[in-house]
Amino acid sequence: MPTMDPNRKKSKPVDLVDSVDSRVELTESTRSCPFPDEVLERVLSLIDSHKDRSSVSLVCKDWYNAERWSRRHVFIGNCYSVSPEIVAARFPRIRSVTLKGKPRFSDFNLVPEDWGADVHPWLSVFSSAYPFLEELRLKRMAVSDESLEFLATSFHGFKALSLLSCDGFSTDGLKAIASHCKNLTELDIQENGIDDLGGHWLSCFPESQTSLEVLNFASLNSEVSFDALEKLVSRCKSLRVLKLNRNISLDQLQKLLLHCPQLMELGTGTFMQELISGPVTEFKNMFSNCRKLVTVSGLWDATPLYLPVIYPVCASLTFLNLSYATLQSSELANLLFHCRSLRRLWLLDTVGDKGLEAVGSCCPLLEELRVFPADPFDQEIFLGVTESGFVSVSRGCPKLRHVLYFCRQMTNAAVATIARNCPDFTHFRLCIMNPGQPDYLTKEPMDEAFGAIVKTCTKLQRLAVSGLLTDRTFEYIGQHAKNMETLSVAFAGNSDLGMECVLKGCPKLRKLEIRDCPFGNAALLSGLTKYESMRSLWMSACNVTMNACRMLAKEKPRLNVEVMRDEEGSDDSQAHKVYVYRSVAGPRRDAPPFVLTL
Amino acid sequence: MSKGLSLLCKKVQAEMLELPNKRIRKHRHTHAHHTMELELSLSPPNQTRHPIKKSRHGDPCRFPLVSWNHDEDDQQPNTFFTGDYQPDLDDDGEGVIGWPPLHSWRKRLMEENQHERVEVFNRGEHHEEGDININVMNRNCNELFVKVKMDGVGIARKIDLNAFHSYQTLTTALIHMFDKYVEIEEDGAAYKLMYQHRDGHWHLGGDLPWEMFIRSVKRIQMVRN
Repeated sequence: MPTMDPNRKKSKPVDLVDSVDSRVELTESTRSCPFPDEVLERVLSLIDSHKDRSSVSLVCKDWYNAERWSRRHVFIGNCYSVSPEIVAARFPRIRSVTLKGKPRFSDFNLVPEDWGADVHPWLSVFSSAYPFLEELRLKRMAVSDESLEFLATSFHGFKALSLLSCDGFSTDGLKAIASHCKNLTELDIQENGIDDLGGHWLSCFPESQTSLEVLNFASLNSEVSFDALEKLVSRCKSLRVLKLNRNISLDQLQKLLLHCPQLMELGTGTFMQELISGPVTEFKNMFSNCRKLVTVSGLWDATPLYLPVIYPVCASLTFLNLSYATLQSSELANLLFHCRSLRRLWLLDTVGDKGLEAVGSCCPLLEELRVFPADPFDQEIFLGVTESGFVSVSRGCPKLRHVLYFCRQMTNAAVATIARNCPDFTHFRLCIMNPGQPDYLTKEPMDEAFGAIVKTCTKLQRLAVSGLLTDRTFEYIGQHAKNMETLSVAFAGNSDLGMECVLKGCPKLRKLEIRDCPFGNAALLSGLTKYESMRSLWMSACNVTMNACRMLAKEKPRLNVEVMRDEEGSDDSQAHKVYVYRSVAGPRRDAPPFVLTL
Repeated sequence: MSKGLSLLCKKVQAEMLELPNKRIRKHRHTHAHHTMELELSLSPPNQTRHPIKKSRHGDPCRFPLVSWNHDEDDQQPNTFFTGDYQPDLDDDGEGVIGWPPLHSWRKRLMEENQHERVEVFNRGEHHEEGDININVMNRNCNELFVKVKMDGVGIARKIDLNAFHSYQTLTTALIHMFDKYVEIEEDGAAYKLMYQHRDGHWHLGGDLPWEMFIRSVKRIQMVRN
């Protein structure tokens, strides 16, 4: 336990890993605890937050035991921080597992294939330890069709499967799930590297399947049988989330909506018909029965002619995802005019600054805004959004907490204004798409921008920086970002001092991911005492050597220090990709040849 | 500390004082005020493509990214990642690997979308049959984008001609836009606007009335005298 390790800071443990170390003795309580175990378990079973549960388990041995028997859901933020055997030994009664695998930069192709994070070893252990497992939520895990088949046939009460950003499976795996999971309530497939072999999987749901509540296949490309889909939707009376793929046409959507007026979240298919003439009026009432709808996404290919079809439900919408619809500013303005209750809005930057002005004037309750680039690689297009759009939103939406903003130009002054207008930011991710770009008016680095953010927004938990940045940015972060848990850095900083400031100054730091920065060995080693209180550190294309990594590994045996080898094999002394994370499971046994554990 | 560990420490210390070696390449650059010597190429380790490519205009385009020169103090402006940085373009024109940080799934989606948006059609209600400008990149008839190039600048731009009402306003705006990339003296007096007509021929700007011009222009070039 943490108190036994003199090197470890007395920080509040937030991850499963801290309280799993079974070798260390807990201070034994005398039986002064007045409750019988069953009562204590009953009380503790009401606690949901895994952070609270971690704290509870540290109180005394009785509470540790009561907690472990009463826990139904386990959250594992890094699949290599603990082994499935350890989890199964500690928690005998789990019904729901959330498991995250690869480092986040794998989403951007920075992690080679076959890196690991295979879900199968977990399923093997769970099949004997948790035969009554009901829910599995995976993020960035490698999942094969065999694993999906194994899952479908080994857990007879299985209810909910959510796969986000996973890879390695095909629609054949989904067939197995649809066919065998009789009690399935949720099938949520998002943003995966999936082999789409056809839409037949959907037809595998048997007639007896009536319990579906969530069905999301928006990211699959191939056509499903509309007949099978329509029948499925009409017999699943509890369906509340339905996200269709682009192959579903508008008139097919209209038919589906007749069967599920209880729907709360809808992802449409393609939102226009090829008819040039012909009434849009026939779709006018499509949504008139959907009184519970709060989320709309999809809207592929939506045009000014067809967007008005959703106006009737706009007033009650709280989340509108327009990030697949290439809308212009006026189309957006007309739409948002009706959406006064929006809390979350995702857009493409085709709406421009003018579109963002409309956001500012129509959506005063907005808490989350994400603006994605429509042409991220086209250097020739001078479109998109600028600092002025962001400022407009900040003026009209003071409740903004969560922002992801891709742009091609920004100024320090604008960000300072934004910070003043929206002091409640918890998630601030600004991506100036040209690496190392300064304030385009003053030509200064963007240090003061992020300085303003960390000084003003005291609740900041997550920060991603970009643009031309010196060590000063990191000094500011170290001085002020006291609640920051996640920091993403790219093409920034001058020297080791930058990274050192962050490691020394941010007490709540859990995840640090860095690429293409001049941070070297001194910076890496300055975090020697810090990394055990963090989930992970990623450093790629920095200035770290193998020897420094070896030193870190030697000094800190409870950390796994992994280096990914450069395929060119040019220089063995440089550590090109470093991934450091705490673990009670020891070094990985399934590391591929290009991953070296030191 | 064990003997092995103390040896390791010494090695690490030595490495920290040494400047990094293998991935440093010296680059020529056109801007005289850059005084860095040792730079780190951006080329990431897993790529098989060549890290250095000449730009379309044959200029050396590998601008320095990072300097390990430890002489600077806080006051000196950071000249590392300058605004002139041009990303490492591979054959797809994709740029630096993993940048911008968009989920690969969303990137694929945007690429598919882009092919579709290049089609010309206008679904606006006031569309007139004979009035299509073949360069319209958007479905909305309120926007009219054309590509603009300026002599000496590697990056072309696209602008919405509807935002202007005369050759003068257009030229002024273009000068301002390209001001970021190349030094323009005397407010661009040295440049003149040439445009390529729909029929393929190049003309000097100003020969057609503005309204006719915006309906027939295919692309624009700012040419230095």
